[in-house]
Amino acid sequence: MVKAYINGTGCISPQNSIDSEWFFDTINPAKGDYFDAIEPSYKEFIAPNLLRRMGRAIKMGVAAGNIAIKQADIQKVDGIITGTGLGCFEDSERFLLAILNNDEQFLTPTSFIQSTHNTVGSQIALIMKCHDYNFTYVHRGFSFESTLQDALMLFEEGKETILVGGIEEHTPNFIILNRKAHKFQEQNTGLPIWRSKTPGIQMSEGTAFFVLNKTKTEKSLASLDGIQTLYKPKTAADILAKLISFLKIHNLSLTDIDVTLMGFSGDANFDSRLQELLPTIEKESVAACYKNVCGEYHTASAFAMWTATKIIERQMLPKVLSVSDKKPSGIKHVLIINQYLGINYSFTLLSQC
Amino acid sequence: MSQRVYITGLGMISAIGNNVPESFLSLSQSKTGIGKINHLTTRYKDEFLAGEIKLSNAELADLVKDNNPALNRNSYIAMLAAKEAVLNSGIDTKDGLRTGVISSTTVAGMSKTELYYKELFEKDEHLDVLDTHDCGDSTERIADYIGNVDYVTTISTACSSAANAIMLGCRMIKHGQLDRVVVGGVDALSKFTFNGFNTLMILDREWCKPFDENRKGLNLGEGAAFVVIEGENALNLRKGKPLAEVIGYANTNDAYHQTASSPEGYGATMAIQQALGMSGLKPTDIDYINMHGTGTPNNDLSESKATIAVFGNQVPKFSSTKAFTGHTLAAAASIEAVISVLSLQNSMIFPNLNFTTPIIETGLIPETTLLHTPLNTILSNSFGFGGNCSSLLFKKV
Repeated sequence: MVKAYINGTGCISPQNSIDSEWFFDTINPAKGDYFDAIEPSYKEFIAPNLLRRMGRAIKMGVAAGNIAIKQADIQKVDGIITGTGLGCFEDSERFLLAILNNDEQFLTPTSFIQSTHNTVGSQIALIMKCHDYNFTYVHRGFSFESTLQDALMLFEEGKETILVGGIEEHTPNFIILNRKAHKFQEQNTGLPIWRSKTPGIQMSEGTAFFVLNKTKTEKSLASLDGIQTLYKPKTAADILAKLISFLKIHNLSLTDIDVTLMGFSGDANFDSRLQELLPTIEKESVAACYKNVCGEYHTASAFAMWTATKIIERQMLPKVLSVSDKKPSGIKHVLIINQYLGINYSFTLLSQC
Repeated sequence: MSQRVYITGLGMISAIGNNVPESFLSLSQSKTGIGKINHLTTRYKDEFLAGEIKLSNAELADLVKDNNPALNRNSYIAMLAAKEAVLNSGIDTKDGLRTGVISSTTVAGMSKTELYYKELFEKDEHLDVLDTHDCGDSTERIADYIGNVDYVTTISTACSSAANAIMLGCRMIKHGQLDRVVVGGVDALSKFTFNGFNTLMILDREWCKPFDENRKGLNLGEGAAFVVIEGENALNLRKGKPLAEVIGYANTNDAYHQTASSPEGYGATMAIQQALGMSGLKPTDIDYINMHGTGTPNNDLSESKATIAVFGNQVPKFSSTKAFTGHTLAAAASIEAVISVLSLQNSMIFPNLNFTTPIIETGLIPETTLLHTPLNTILSNSFGFGGNCSSLLFKKV
């Protein structure tokens, strides 16, 4: 079974992940019931003439892609695959409001042009002059996962280097409306994220890009060994059974997994199956979380994969992610169990290489 | 690893019919579905034409047999077309084989969001649009409507979306990850896309005229089309009947401009060449091309040049069927896949309506009347914003 090697990463999140030295030492709390991404000064990543017109999602995506490519030290890729739940939401909203506020008159096309979900992928293709494979996935909590599944197939089909990334942005209006629909809760509920008893997430945003390589090089930080998505599993037992067979494909069992990053979102309804699984994971592996620092969004699993890569690189599980005092001894395999709305589940397996 | 992949079921709803038999009738009678705007709320409804599905949302709800108020037009038409494809194929999703749904859409739930967006801030009604606005919504509704689906994902690569859904489905079967997949695309007409294309000044106020020297732009349409594709192993197991084989596909990027195609059609040329390369066919083996042919000055010239780059002075018979359906965006490639299979099955090339004068620069002349001719292989092109170019190759079985 083909693996992918992670040769470069770039991550913009509510934390200081843009700084390559940062490793969960300083943590920004949520702004009550949501997180904002910390955006870098884009000038060092994007030409000023392009920057002026770009929406936030595009800027975040292009910059994170740029950082990953620089770290991998490559000039070209054989494909660009992006994943995003809501795409360039700011531009979509801007064009929609212009239509509604001006009764379909006096419109300019820029925000419409940039509203299409494939804008980030195509902007990167334009900048890199990449005429090769270009795909954009837009399926909720599978958006980023699909990019990884696709990249692994492309490697089997003979491609060598693929850029993948997850992108999400929110807007002030989006936050107002979701708050009104009671989808959020304050971060400070008094209970840790993996033990929440109340509904509501902390809405967030961010982007993480990865240069994936078919062959291992001196740049390789970790390997991506496998990825599987589960649509609407009925019970925690179903998830566990699927997880055990997923690990078996890779000749592993749960006890071989040094760290298991679990996608607790803080919404007790969505997290119930993960809460049920937690004792088993804690017993066999070392359980950890990540949405307490990155918040919840469609492509939070991209942040999780960035975190897993860092954990393997640094050989350490940051305390802020731990759910117990149990510490991993030597980190060879990291598993991500993500969930989105309790509907989209995924397993992503990374290993030391 | 590689097994053959067959199309075994067709489903489609668009301006030319609410199902495949109705669509075939319109196509074989050269009857366009494009006309006066009836359902879309827009101040321009008397100034432009569109390819609307002839049913209201209430009528669609009756057909779907689901009164869930959260459903929007995108979901209704996606569910109808996907279900038709599944029934047509005869697959039983409860038989233990792995079934996937790979759909695609560009504006997803926008047709409903735009009706209520401002109200959302003032009232407590219609907040469900927050859950149904995104692209994944209609895909999951299809999956639940069909039942027993193991895998879902959604693609959005502008007007080439459904071609990429078909391509991904084929690859997942060849890689042994799924046994069969319901693949396609959907886009309901919205004020958002209508005004977007109008602002770009690429809408024709009259009937669109693909590949005509005097073409002025496209007519927007709406629709959903899905095909069931199955690996030969799964098909043989249930002794099913194939309708056509998918023998080639390719995805490239023009990397020229965010919305415009390169003048020489570089990305399109590569997509066609790579699809041919995969099939092992020579350009002269292609019997007919179902072109992207939107009717915009830019696309049709660029696509004509790409066609000449690949086929030289032996350009196969070709037509764009967008003058029947309008440009249905994410659904275009799957609607044209269904039309291509109908062409193969019935040995018919459906005409390029409204054409009179060839483009001076290229001189290419499409088929303008219904043609009965044996067809073995069909190339279908789809290109989109963001430079996304995809080509598919279908073969008669």
